Amino acid sequence: MQLRRILVFTTQKLLRLGLLLLAVAIFTFVLLSLSPIDPVQAYIGADMMQISPEQRQLIAERWGLDQPMLLRFGDWLGQLAQGNWGTSMVFNQPVGAVIASRFSLSVQMLAIAWLLSGLLGLGLGIVAGALAGTWIDRAIRLYAYTLASSPTFWVALLLLIVFSVSLKVTPICCAAPPGQLAADVTFWQHLHHLLLPALTLSIIGVASITLHTRQKLIDVLHSDYVLFARAQGESLWGVIHHHGLRNLILPALTLQFASLSELFGGAVLVEQVFAYPGLGEATVQAALRSDIPLLVGIVFFSALFVYTGNTLADLAYPLIDPRIRLGG
Amino acid sequence: MKVSIGSLGVLLIGSLLVGCGSGPDAALESTPDSAPESAAETSPQTGSAEQIVLAIGGESEEGYDPTLGWGRYGSPLFQSTLLRRDADLNIVNDLATDYTVSADGLIWTVTIRDDVVFADGEPLTAADVAYTFNQAAESGGLTDVTVLAEAIALDDTTVELRLEEPQSTFVNRLITLGIVPEHAHGPDYARNPVGSGPYRLVQWDEGQQLIVEANPNYYGAAPGIQQLVFLFVEEDAAFAAAKAGQAQVASVPQALAVQSVAGMTLYDVTSVDNRGLMFPYVPATGETTPNGDPIGNDVTADLAIRQAVNYAIDRQALVDGVLEGYGSVAYGPVSGLAWEAPGAEIQDAQPEEAQALLAAGGWADGDDDGILEKDGVKAEFTILYPASDSTRQALALATAAMLQPIGIQANVEGKSWDEITPAMHSNVVVFGWGSHDQTEMYNLYHSQAAQGDFYNAGYYANQAIDDTLDLAMGAPSEAEAIAFWQAAQWDGSTGFTTQGDAAWAWLVNLDHTYFVSDCLDIGQPQVEPHGHGWPITANIAEWAWTCS
Repeated sequence: MQLRRILVFTTQKLLRLGLLLLAVAIFTFVLLSLSPIDPVQAYIGADMMQISPEQRQLIAERWGLDQPMLLRFGDWLGQLAQGNWGTSMVFNQPVGAVIASRFSLSVQMLAIAWLLSGLLGLGLGIVAGALAGTWIDRAIRLYAYTLASSPTFWVALLLLIVFSVSLKVTPICCAAPPGQLAADVTFWQHLHHLLLPALTLSIIGVASITLHTRQKLIDVLHSDYVLFARAQGESLWGVIHHHGLRNLILPALTLQFASLSELFGGAVLVEQVFAYPGLGEATVQAALRSDIPLLVGIVFFSALFVYTGNTLADLAYPLIDPRIRLGG
Repeated sequence: MKVSIGSLGVLLIGSLLVGCGSGPDAALESTPDSAPESAAETSPQTGSAEQIVLAIGGESEEGYDPTLGWGRYGSPLFQSTLLRRDADLNIVNDLATDYTVSADGLIWTVTIRDDVVFADGEPLTAADVAYTFNQAAESGGLTDVTVLAEAIALDDTTVELRLEEPQSTFVNRLITLGIVPEHAHGPDYARNPVGSGPYRLVQWDEGQQLIVEANPNYYGAAPGIQQLVFLFVEEDAAFAAAKAGQAQVASVPQALAVQSVAGMTLYDVTSVDNRGLMFPYVPATGETTPNGDPIGNDVTADLAIRQAVNYAIDRQALVDGVLEGYGSVAYGPVSGLAWEAPGAEIQDAQPEEAQALLAAGGWADGDDDGILEKDGVKAEFTILYPASDSTRQALALATAAMLQPIGIQANVEGKSWDEITPAMHSNVVVFGWGSHDQTEMYNLYHSQAAQGDFYNAGYYANQAIDDTLDLAMGAPSEAEAIAFWQAAQWDGSTGFTTQGDAAWAWLVNLDHTYFVSDCLDIGQPQVEPHGHGWPITANIAEWAWTCS
């Protein structure tokens, strides 16, 4: 019975994932084919006066750009079925290799930001909910509302100005100190360069989870069973610990996993500001130069990433709330 | 190539573990980098003969493969070329010991040195040269060798390059195309370049930095600096790095060049990185490009208008006002190069002369609105510039203000390139070019080049100029071609510059500004082509550290 349920759940999920990816691929191709950017022109850049029409033709042939979009899409699908994501025009490298090398830098930043924002958001939300109406609650709400309405790049610039330019405690750019061989870069140097971008992402991610947790806790605190527990002499923090937390974690978890998409989007901007050579920076390059294989690869990858996050949330529900069943 | 999140997770955990293993000896709270970032505060300069840091941009995202266009300007670092241009842009031998061109210009025979080895110890032979040229001719990269029919190694030191048609500018391929080893060249080569150049690759952190060290197998004089670090950062960050003493060479925009940096000297390098106004040359007859974009402009099709604009502009004022003095006046597309025509320059900043030209051309202000008319057409056109480029914006606005007094109304509009491209055959556009390769001049002015693209965007057409340009292109050598290149600009009676057809109003050449450490001797820089940054590396093997 249990096994069957898991099987149904997995099949459904995979089917949906397949459809999602197909839709994403079609949309990306259609949108890019409507884009006014000519990839050959973007590739040639300022050298256009030295490139003859014959050479232009060679460039188009090299990347298959002389074919109509529909044919290229078919080709691409066929290659994908064989596990080949294509070759990036910008980086002259297999798309898989570009994503792997770029993502290995981004994933550390994303992981730190995700964990920090989740824990911090939950903590602040509980404090604000428990002390609703006090000045602490107001301060936390003010912070949350302010950040919820601040653009990511603006916060990033602000932090860069304060910590890197004025206080000089964090580096201005890059993922490692200049001039240092990869083998000599220590863990701490690595973390040092990672810290500010990750921090930027996390303090922005805090807002929504704080506000939701706060509201949910207020609801819980006004429920009959809490009134009953309080009447029995249970303290406020005891109530939160025994009755509140499980109720709070469910929406918080949903939000936290759903925020993976925002996190991914935020990373594009933050990496741009901090000149951090992660996947976000590659995305910008791919879009500006109409590098379809790379852009589709990244979009695919991020869809997969977000989808996996949401599936993990689904899987976590039954663990937290036994009333919820897989595939039910 | 397949990416799985699982394996990346394992990677991450792995690196965390390794990191923790090496953790104890690095205290968390002390600024962890024995950092250039903070150490730089105390020591003014961190460079030495061992290592210097250059923040001059120039990252080649697709790697360092000359057959794909790496080394088009500046030094190819890892590879060496058959010929090169010296500080005065004269062509001198590098790998080659001699070269001859057949009388019909179709066969170039090059003899090369016999003592050259690649960084991996393998000898460099004529077969590698032939391979490189054949490969470049077929590859869809950024070096155009399509004129090559085939390259054949006659023996170990002689290679024959057979062309489809004579092309005097082919010598530029011998100057820019770095020779790659046939035995080590493949799809991975761009990321693992092996060559016979002065430096070899140590590490490339994509998007961040490139570290190279002197190649012990280099056949030339050993480079003066053992290790080079190229930082790939924006100009603002480059300036900050220079100020902090982290970078010994930094390319900075003109706006920042007015500042001073302790321990560094400003190098104000002349360039042919030009800016000018391209005029639509033909009247608007409803004709369109293959893409359906309109061609021609009734106002700028009039010679008097084009010449008057050229005479009215005060170019020196543009240099002083817009470029902060870091530039030079331009009367043609090749200022300062050996093939610039003597006598093509004019006395500009002469509104009276401009007005006289307009009056002689039949332009008069009939309705007293300050704008001239002729046959019911007002002397009015739009100057387009790429909105992201503040220098071109300032040039366009200043030029429009200089044209107002002579009765020409120039409306200035900033747009994106995507919007400019369809409008550039019927409007005046602020363009910027500049190359050591004369092919550019050919493509800017030859009537056959106008095909609805950036080539000859104004559809300039003059049979006499076409003939001269063809003669220049077909000459067997650059030396013989120069007379024709000059004649196309102005030969005393015809030319595409102001006194002739005035197809463009060239305005200024930008100077390229660099902060260079006082301890670093970079020799005499060349007149640099379009592209600020990497061109300064042209003689990088000769740089020397002069402090102890």
